[in-house]
Amino acid sequence: MKITDACVYPYPSGDSSVRRMALEARYLGFDRLVAPGISSGEFFGIEVSHGILLRDTPLKDLISRIRQEKNNATVVSVQAGDNGFNRAVIGIKGVHILRGIQSADKTAFDHVAARMAADNRVAVDVDLSPLICGRGITRQRAIHRYRDILVLERRFEFPITLSSHARSILEMRAVREIAGLCSLIGMDIPDVERGFTGIDVVTTIPNPAVRII
Amino acid sequence: MGARPPTLREKRRYILVSVEPSGVTIDRKDLYYAICDANTSLWGDETASVINPAVIVSEGQYVIIRCRRGTERELSIALLTITSCRDHHIALRIVAASGTIETLREKIKKPGTPDPDSTSLPECSFGEKLFQTEYCSGQKVDVIEKGFKNTNRLFLTKEDLEKF
Repeated sequence: MKITDACVYPYPSGDSSVRRMALEARYLGFDRLVAPGISSGEFFGIEVSHGILLRDTPLKDLISRIRQEKNNATVVSVQAGDNGFNRAVIGIKGVHILRGIQSADKTAFDHVAARMAADNRVAVDVDLSPLICGRGITRQRAIHRYRDILVLERRFEFPITLSSHARSILEMRAVREIAGLCSLIGMDIPDVERGFTGIDVVTTIPNPAVRII
Repeated sequence: MGARPPTLREKRRYILVSVEPSGVTIDRKDLYYAICDANTSLWGDETASVINPAVIVSEGQYVIIRCRRGTERELSIALLTITSCRDHHIALRIVAASGTIETLREKIKKPGTPDPDSTSLPECSFGEKLFQTEYCSGQKVDVIEKGFKNTNRLFLTKEDLEKF
Protein backbone atom coordinates (compact mmCIF):
# COMPACT_ATOMS: atom_id res chain seq x y z
CA MET A 1 0.00 0.00 0.00
CA LYS A 2 1.46 3.31 -1.08
CA ILE A 3 0.86 6.63 0.64
CA THR A 4 -0.78 8.68 -2.08
CA ASP A 5 -1.76 12.28 -2.59
CA ALA A 6 -4.80 11.71 -4.80
CA CYS A 7 -4.63 15.00 -6.73
CA VAL A 8 -1.93 17.55 -7.48
CA TYR A 9 -1.75 19.98 -10.39
CA PRO A 10 1.79 20.39 -11.73
CA TYR A 11 2.88 22.89 -14.41
CA PRO A 12 1.17 24.22 -16.58
CA SER A 13 -1.88 24.15 -14.25
CA GLY A 14 0.34 25.08 -11.32
CA ASP A 15 3.69 26.74 -10.78
CA SER A 16 5.77 23.64 -10.01
CA SER A 17 7.00 21.02 -12.44
CA VAL A 18 5.96 17.42 -11.92
CA ARG A 19 9.55 16.49 -11.08
CA ARG A 20 9.79 19.19 -8.43
CA MET A 21 6.48 18.09 -6.96
CA ALA A 22 7.74 14.50 -6.86
CA LEU A 23 10.94 15.66 -5.16
CA GLU A 24 8.92 17.58 -2.58
CA ALA A 25 6.52 14.64 -2.12
CA ARG A 26 9.46 12.37 -1.31
CA TYR A 27 10.64 14.85 1.32
CA LEU A 28 7.10 15.06 2.75
CA GLY A 29 6.71 11.28 3.05
CA PHE A 30 4.57 10.30 0.06
CA ASP A 31 5.08 7.31 -2.24
CA ARG A 32 2.77 8.30 -5.07
CA LEU A 33 1.02 11.28 -6.65
CA VAL A 34 -1.97 11.41 -8.95
CA ALA A 35 -1.68 14.25 -11.45
CA PRO A 36 -4.45 15.01 -13.96
CA GLY A 37 -3.15 15.70 -17.44
CA ILE A 38 0.35 14.37 -16.77
CA SER A 39 1.58 11.12 -18.25
CA SER A 40 2.54 8.38 -15.79
CA GLY A 41 6.13 7.94 -14.73
CA GLU A 42 8.52 7.70 -11.84
CA PHE A 43 10.51 10.71 -10.68
CA PHE A 44 12.98 10.64 -7.78
CA GLY A 45 11.48 7.35 -6.61
CA ILE A 46 7.93 8.72 -6.53
CA GLU A 47 5.34 7.12 -8.76
CA VAL A 48 3.23 9.67 -10.64
CA SER A 49 -0.05 8.26 -11.92
CA HIS A 50 -1.96 9.75 -14.80
CA GLY A 51 -5.42 10.94 -13.91
CA ILE A 52 -8.36 12.56 -15.60
CA LEU A 53 -10.88 14.82 -13.96
CA LEU A 54 -14.25 15.05 -15.70
CA ARG A 55 -16.45 17.99 -14.84
CA ASP A 56 -19.48 19.70 -16.36
CA THR A 57 -19.88 16.82 -18.77
CA PRO A 58 -23.26 15.30 -19.73
CA LEU A 59 -23.67 11.72 -18.56
CA LYS A 60 -23.64 10.32 -22.11
CA ASP A 61 -20.30 11.96 -22.96
CA LEU A 62 -18.98 10.94 -19.56
CA ILE A 63 -19.67 7.26 -20.24
CA SER A 64 -17.96 7.34 -23.65
CA ARG A 65 -14.95 9.20 -22.17
CA ILE A 66 -14.62 6.64 -19.38
CA ARG A 67 -14.83 3.79 -21.92
CA GLN A 68 -11.83 5.27 -23.74
CA GLU A 69 -9.78 5.06 -20.54
CA LYS A 70 -10.98 1.58 -19.64
CA ASN A 71 -7.80 -0.28 -20.55
CA ASN A 72 -5.35 2.41 -19.41
CA ALA A 73 -4.02 2.66 -15.89
CA THR A 74 -5.69 6.03 -15.50
CA VAL A 75 -7.29 7.24 -12.31
CA VAL A 76 -10.72 8.49 -13.40
CA SER A 77 -12.30 11.19 -11.24
CA VAL A 78 -15.65 12.87 -11.72
CA GLN A 79 -16.74 16.17 -10.20
CA ALA A 80 -19.79 15.65 -8.01
CA GLY A 81 -23.10 17.16 -9.04
CA ASP A 82 -26.61 16.72 -7.71
CA ASN A 83 -27.85 13.53 -6.09
CA GLY A 84 -29.17 11.87 -9.26
CA PHE A 85 -25.96 12.63 -11.15
CA ASN A 86 -23.79 11.26 -8.34
CA ARG A 87 -25.77 8.03 -8.12
CA ALA A 88 -25.50 7.59 -11.89
CA VAL A 89 -21.75 8.29 -11.85
CA ILE A 90 -21.13 5.87 -8.99
CA GLY A 91 -22.93 3.18 -11.01
CA ILE A 92 -20.64 3.60 -14.04
CA LYS A 93 -17.91 0.99 -14.23
CA GLY A 94 -14.48 2.61 -14.49
CA VAL A 95 -15.08 5.62 -12.24
CA HIS A 96 -12.60 5.62 -9.39
CA ILE A 97 -13.17 8.83 -7.44
CA LEU A 98 -16.03 11.24 -6.85
CA ARG A 99 -14.53 14.67 -6.19
CA GLY A 100 -15.70 18.05 -4.96
CA ILE A 101 -18.38 16.70 -2.66
CA GLN A 102 -17.78 19.61 -0.27
CA SER A 103 -18.93 22.12 -2.87
CA ALA A 104 -21.89 20.05 -4.11
CA ASP A 105 -25.47 20.30 -2.90
CA LYS A 106 -26.16 19.32 0.74
CA THR A 107 -28.23 16.32 -0.34
CA ALA A 108 -25.82 15.34 -3.12
CA PHE A 109 -24.40 12.38 -1.26
CA ASP A 110 -26.89 10.46 0.83
CA HIS A 111 -27.02 6.98 2.36
CA VAL A 112 -28.12 5.38 -0.94
CA ALA A 113 -25.16 6.90 -2.79
CA ALA A 114 -22.91 5.81 0.09
CA ARG A 115 -24.08 2.20 -0.19
CA MET A 116 -23.63 2.28 -3.96
CA ALA A 117 -20.11 3.69 -3.55
CA ALA A 118 -19.24 0.88 -1.16
CA ASP A 119 -20.65 -1.77 -3.52
CA ASN A 120 -18.98 -0.34 -6.65
CA ARG A 121 -15.72 0.59 -4.88
CA VAL A 122 -15.87 4.25 -5.81
CA ALA A 123 -13.95 6.51 -3.46
CA VAL A 124 -15.13 9.86 -2.18
CA ASP A 125 -12.36 12.41 -2.19
CA VAL A 126 -11.54 14.55 0.83
CA ASP A 127 -10.07 17.73 -0.66
CA LEU A 128 -7.81 19.34 1.92
CA SER A 129 -7.39 22.66 0.09
CA PRO A 130 -10.48 24.29 1.71
CA LEU A 131 -9.02 23.37 5.11
CA ILE A 132 -5.58 24.75 4.24
CA CYS A 133 -6.39 27.79 2.11
CA GLY A 134 -10.00 28.47 3.05
CA ARG A 135 -11.03 30.93 5.73
CA GLY A 136 -14.30 31.59 7.50
CA ILE A 137 -17.51 30.16 6.11
CA THR A 138 -15.75 28.27 3.28
CA ARG A 139 -13.71 26.23 5.73
CA GLN A 140 -16.60 25.82 8.15
CA ARG A 141 -18.82 24.41 5.40
CA ALA A 142 -16.09 22.04 4.22
CA ILE A 143 -15.49 20.75 7.77
CA HIS A 144 -19.23 20.24 8.26
CA ARG A 145 -19.61 18.34 4.96
CA TYR A 146 -16.59 16.13 5.59
CA ARG A 147 -17.82 15.25 9.08
CA ASP A 148 -21.18 14.33 7.56
CA ILE A 149 -19.54 12.15 4.88
CA LEU A 150 -17.37 10.42 7.47
CA VAL A 151 -20.49 9.39 9.38
CA LEU A 152 -21.66 7.61 6.20
CA GLU A 153 -18.15 6.23 5.59
CA ARG A 154 -18.09 4.58 9.02
CA ARG A 155 -21.52 3.10 8.42
CA PHE A 156 -21.12 1.86 4.82
CA GLU A 157 -17.30 1.60 4.57
CA PHE A 158 -16.85 3.06 1.11
CA PRO A 159 -13.27 4.04 0.19
CA ILE A 160 -12.03 7.57 0.75
CA THR A 161 -9.02 9.36 -0.72
CA LEU A 162 -7.07 12.32 0.59
CA SER A 163 -5.82 14.96 -1.81
CA SER A 164 -4.15 18.31 -1.38
CA HIS A 165 -5.16 19.70 -4.81
CA ALA A 166 -1.82 21.52 -4.64
CA ARG A 167 -0.90 23.75 -7.56
CA SER A 168 2.44 24.57 -6.01
CA ILE A 169 4.94 22.82 -3.78
CA LEU A 170 4.03 25.46 -1.21
CA GLU A 171 0.52 24.02 -1.00
CA MET A 172 1.73 20.47 -0.40
CA ARG A 173 1.75 19.23 3.19
CA ALA A 174 3.62 16.40 4.92
CA VAL A 175 1.94 13.10 5.77
CA ARG A 176 2.12 13.80 9.49
CA GLU A 177 0.79 17.33 8.99
CA ILE A 178 -2.15 16.00 6.98
CA ALA A 179 -2.94 13.60 9.83
CA GLY A 180 -3.13 16.63 12.13
CA LEU A 181 -5.27 18.52 9.65
CA CYS A 182 -7.64 15.56 9.29
CA SER A 183 -8.21 15.57 13.05
CA LEU A 184 -10.24 18.75 12.40
CA ILE A 185 -12.82 16.68 10.57
CA GLY A 186 -12.82 13.87 13.10
CA MET A 187 -10.48 11.46 11.32
CA ASP A 188 -8.19 9.45 13.56
CA ILE A 189 -4.93 7.81 12.46
CA PRO A 190 -6.49 4.57 11.04
CA ASP A 191 -8.95 6.71 9.03
CA VAL A 192 -6.09 8.79 7.63
CA GLU A 193 -4.14 5.64 6.73
CA ARG A 194 -7.20 4.34 4.90
CA GLY A 195 -7.51 7.66 3.11
CA PHE A 196 -3.89 7.60 1.95
CA THR A 197 -4.25 4.08 0.58
CA GLY A 198 -7.73 4.59 -0.87
CA ILE A 199 -6.34 4.79 -4.43
CA ASP A 200 -5.02 1.22 -4.14
CA VAL A 201 -8.47 0.03 -3.08
CA VAL A 202 -10.27 1.58 -6.06
CA THR A 203 -7.68 0.79 -8.74
CA THR A 204 -7.00 -2.86 -7.90
CA ILE A 205 -9.41 -5.38 -9.35
CA PRO A 206 -11.13 -7.26 -6.52
CA ASN A 207 -10.87 -11.02 -6.25
CA PRO A 208 -14.17 -12.48 -7.46
CA ALA A 209 -16.26 -14.23 -4.83
CA VAL A 210 -16.84 -17.14 -7.23
CA ARG A 211 -14.12 -18.39 -9.57
CA ILE A 212 -15.26 -19.94 -12.83
CA ILE A 213 -13.12 -22.94 -13.76
CA MET B 1 6.74 43.66 38.62
CA GLY B 2 9.57 41.18 39.17
CA ALA B 3 9.92 37.86 37.39
CA ARG B 4 8.03 35.00 38.95
CA PRO B 5 9.92 32.08 40.47
CA PRO B 6 10.36 29.14 38.06
CA THR B 7 7.65 27.02 39.68
CA LEU B 8 5.06 29.74 39.13
CA ARG B 9 6.02 30.53 35.56
CA GLU B 10 3.91 29.49 32.63
CA LYS B 11 5.25 26.31 30.97
CA ARG B 12 6.12 26.85 27.33
CA ARG B 13 7.06 24.85 24.29
CA TYR B 14 8.96 25.92 21.20
CA ILE B 15 8.37 24.83 17.61
CA LEU B 16 11.04 25.03 14.95
CA VAL B 17 9.72 25.67 11.46
CA SER B 18 11.43 26.26 8.16
CA VAL B 19 10.01 28.86 5.80
CA GLU B 20 9.59 27.79 2.18
CA PRO B 21 10.54 28.83 -0.46
CA SER B 22 14.20 29.20 0.43
CA GLY B 23 15.74 32.59 -0.09
CA VAL B 24 12.64 34.57 0.84
CA THR B 25 13.19 36.92 3.76
CA ILE B 26 10.19 37.31 6.03
CA ASP B 27 9.87 40.03 8.64
CA ARG B 28 9.32 38.60 12.13
CA LYS B 29 6.44 40.95 12.82
CA ASP B 30 4.71 40.08 9.55
CA LEU B 31 5.07 36.38 10.32
CA TYR B 32 3.70 36.94 13.82
CA TYR B 33 0.61 38.63 12.40
CA ALA B 34 0.17 35.82 9.84
CA ILE B 35 0.38 33.22 12.64
CA CYS B 36 -2.10 35.13 14.83
CA ASP B 37 -4.48 35.50 11.90
CA ALA B 38 -4.33 31.79 11.03
CA ASN B 39 -4.64 30.81 14.68
CA THR B 40 -7.66 33.00 15.35
CA SER B 41 -9.33 32.02 12.10
CA LEU B 42 -9.02 28.31 12.85
CA TRP B 43 -9.53 28.09 16.61
CA GLY B 44 -11.31 31.31 17.54
CA ASP B 45 -10.26 34.02 19.97
CA GLU B 46 -10.66 31.94 23.12
CA THR B 47 -8.34 29.07 22.12
CA ALA B 48 -5.96 31.46 20.35
CA SER B 49 -5.49 33.35 23.59
CA VAL B 50 -4.64 30.09 25.37
CA ILE B 51 -2.08 29.15 22.68
CA ASN B 52 -0.51 32.61 22.95
CA PRO B 53 1.98 32.26 20.06
CA ALA B 54 5.09 34.40 19.65
CA VAL B 55 7.94 34.44 17.14
CA ILE B 56 11.10 34.14 19.22
CA VAL B 57 14.00 33.55 16.84
CA SER B 58 14.41 34.02 13.11
CA GLU B 59 17.61 32.63 11.64
CA GLY B 60 17.78 32.45 7.87
CA GLN B 61 14.92 30.29 6.71
CA TYR B 62 14.29 28.90 10.22
CA VAL B 63 11.91 30.39 12.76
CA ILE B 64 11.28 29.36 16.36
CA ILE B 65 7.72 29.91 17.58
CA ARG B 66 6.69 29.81 21.20
CA CYS B 67 3.39 28.54 22.58
CA ARG B 68 1.93 27.38 25.87
CA ARG B 69 2.75 23.79 26.80
CA GLY B 70 -0.01 21.40 25.73
CA THR B 71 -1.11 23.55 22.79
CA GLU B 72 1.60 22.44 20.33
CA ARG B 73 -0.87 20.37 18.33
CA GLU B 74 -3.28 23.27 17.89
CA LEU B 75 -0.50 25.65 16.94
CA SER B 76 1.08 23.22 14.47
CA ILE B 77 -2.29 22.70 12.73
CA ALA B 78 -2.79 26.46 12.56
CA LEU B 79 0.72 26.85 11.09
CA LEU B 80 -0.27 24.49 8.25
CA THR B 81 -2.98 26.90 7.16
CA ILE B 82 -0.56 29.77 6.57
CA THR B 83 -0.18 30.24 2.83
CA SER B 84 1.01 33.82 2.58
CA CYS B 85 2.82 36.47 4.57
CA ARG B 86 2.33 40.00 3.25
CA ASP B 87 2.95 39.67 -0.48
CA HIS B 88 4.93 36.43 -0.28
CA HIS B 89 3.42 33.05 -1.01
CA ILE B 90 4.97 30.84 1.69
CA ALA B 91 4.65 27.49 3.47
CA LEU B 92 5.82 26.67 6.98
CA ARG B 93 7.32 23.19 7.38
CA ILE B 94 7.43 22.00 10.97
CA VAL B 95 10.83 20.56 11.82
CA ALA B 96 10.69 19.85 15.56
CA ALA B 97 9.16 20.83 18.89
CA SER B 98 11.01 21.12 22.16
CA GLY B 99 10.90 22.59 25.64
CA THR B 100 14.08 24.58 25.15
CA ILE B 101 15.30 26.91 22.43
CA GLU B 102 18.83 25.46 22.67
CA THR B 103 17.67 22.00 21.55
CA LEU B 104 15.98 23.51 18.53
CA ARG B 105 19.03 25.59 17.67
CA GLU B 106 20.99 22.35 17.36
CA LYS B 107 18.54 21.19 14.71
CA ILE B 108 18.97 24.28 12.57
CA LYS B 109 21.06 23.34 9.57
CA LYS B 110 23.90 25.75 9.04
CA PRO B 111 23.92 27.26 5.55
CA GLY B 112 26.65 25.56 3.56
CA THR B 113 28.78 26.97 0.82
CA PRO B 114 26.68 28.37 -2.04
CA ASP B 115 25.89 25.91 -4.78
CA PRO B 116 28.26 26.58 -7.70
CA ASP B 117 25.39 25.75 -10.06
CA SER B 118 23.40 28.73 -8.82
CA THR B 119 25.95 31.02 -10.42
CA SER B 120 26.32 28.85 -13.51
CA LEU B 121 22.56 29.05 -14.18
CA PRO B 122 21.83 32.78 -14.00
CA GLU B 123 19.48 32.56 -16.95
CA CYS B 124 17.54 29.62 -18.28
CA SER B 125 14.66 28.87 -20.57
CA PHE B 126 11.56 26.89 -19.76
CA GLY B 127 8.46 26.59 -21.92
CA GLU B 128 9.93 28.99 -24.53
CA LYS B 129 10.34 31.75 -21.96
CA LEU B 130 13.44 33.22 -20.40
CA PHE B 131 13.84 32.96 -16.65
CA GLN B 132 16.21 34.31 -14.04
CA THR B 133 17.48 31.76 -11.51
CA GLU B 134 16.45 32.84 -8.02
CA TYR B 135 17.58 29.87 -5.94
CA CYS B 136 19.44 26.69 -6.74
CA SER B 137 20.29 23.85 -4.37
CA GLY B 138 20.84 20.23 -5.29
CA GLN B 139 18.16 19.31 -7.80
CA LYS B 140 15.93 22.26 -6.90
CA VAL B 141 15.85 25.34 -9.09
CA ASP B 142 13.53 28.29 -8.41
CA VAL B 143 13.18 30.72 -11.28
CA ILE B 144 11.39 34.00 -11.99
CA GLU B 145 10.38 35.07 -15.47
CA LYS B 146 12.54 37.83 -16.89
CA GLY B 147 10.93 41.21 -17.19
CA PHE B 148 8.71 43.12 -14.80
CA LYS B 149 5.26 41.86 -15.81
CA ASN B 150 5.25 38.41 -14.20
CA THR B 151 7.26 37.99 -11.02
CA ASN B 152 5.80 34.66 -9.90
CA ARG B 153 8.23 31.94 -8.95
CA LEU B 154 8.36 28.68 -10.82
CA PHE B 155 9.62 25.63 -8.95
CA LEU B 156 11.63 23.36 -11.22
CA THR B 157 14.44 20.86 -11.16
CA LYS B 158 17.66 20.79 -13.12
CA GLU B 159 16.29 17.97 -15.25
CA ASP B 160 13.39 20.21 -16.33
CA LEU B 161 15.80 22.85 -17.55
CA GLU B 162 17.93 20.30 -19.37
CA LYS B 163 14.87 18.94 -21.07
CA PHE B 164 13.65 22.28 -22.31
